[in-house]
Amino acid sequence: MVACEVRLDLLSIIACPVCKGALELEADEIAPEGAADAGEVLTGTLTCAACDERYPITGGIPNLLPPELRDAEAAAGR
Amino acid sequence: MTTTPNNTERTSTDQIRQAVQEHYGQRALRVIELADVTPESGQDCGAENCGRGSCGSDDCAPNAEAAACCGPADTERAMTLYNEAQLQGLPVEAMAASAGCGNPTALADLRPGETVLDLGSGGGIDCFIAAEQVGASGRVFGLDMTPEMLALAIANRDRMGVTNVEFIEGHLEDIPLPDASVDVVISNCVICLSPDKDAVFREAYRVLTPGGRLHVSDMLALTEAGPALTDAESWASCVGGAEYRGTYLARMTAAGFTDIDTIDEALRLDENDVPLNVASVKVSAHKPA
Repeated sequence: MVACEVRLDLLSIIACPVCKGALELEADEIAPEGAADAGEVLTGTLTCAACDERYPITGGIPNLLPPELRDAEAAAGR
Repeated sequence: MTTTPNNTERTSTDQIRQAVQEHYGQRALRVIELADVTPESGQDCGAENCGRGSCGSDDCAPNAEAAACCGPADTERAMTLYNEAQLQGLPVEAMAASAGCGNPTALADLRPGETVLDLGSGGGIDCFIAAEQVGASGRVFGLDMTPEMLALAIANRDRMGVTNVEFIEGHLEDIPLPDASVDVVISNCVICLSPDKDAVFREAYRVLTPGGRLHVSDMLALTEAGPALTDAESWASCVGGAEYRGTYLARMTAAGFTDIDTIDEALRLDENDVPLNVASVKVSAHKPA
């Protein structure tokens, strides 16, 4: 599936915002073929191979805010 | 008189970040609401505090806050900033959410196969234009810190069927991309929102490939006195964070950029047409090969 390959390829480039290490993708939910966002990783986790920090993907958006800012936002209810 | 490094002396970094996020989150939500309404002439668009100048109704008089966030006015502005060919095929929501002050892709001379990063991608308008130019062999990353804007951008992307754009939630000061991974960095009226512009330029330089280029449109102050207003809400509307152009360009030089060039200045006025000592400026620069 071309769209899927393109999207996974895009995700494969992004790096840890803290140490810039490579991220490993674990996809829990991928948009099915035929959907407008076919191949998009809807839910999953990106884990930094270097510093072990984990970054969530929710609603198709990888959250790569530095962890302290992400946690502050979660605390603020965003 | 001493110039404050980042206009931040009177407004804390957290206050600025929060004001910016709220301002643009509300803008995105308003566009999402507007998408369900046909903005017919003479009719309130339905958004709370609608400030449509063209609305015509007495109780819908334009006010500064609403006019700054309301979709149709932004759509009209987008149509003056971009040319017709660039806007063809774009969802109206992408134009309505557009908060830019320029058109960086027009100057970036993007080529097929290039990788582009848009700092502060908002509703995605510049990403979609860039995606068309770099083609299927190229790719575009849109980085933004406002969840509502990212949701809007993704909805726009999927409606268009674009597959070479990825939107990422993140900070301009901590770009989640490896060193030397991007050919062109673009940004449209966003770096002025950052309380740490040195970090933004340092990060932009880091992710660019040698020979890579930076094309930004941004709000800059014309004299060392800085912008007329610097409270948090003025930061969010691109005035408070607009620093003196000399300081801004010096930060770019300090980050390593060369061949720094500025063109085209459009003066920013307040609602009474009083100049705010701030102008929209297009800046281009290179990372040495």
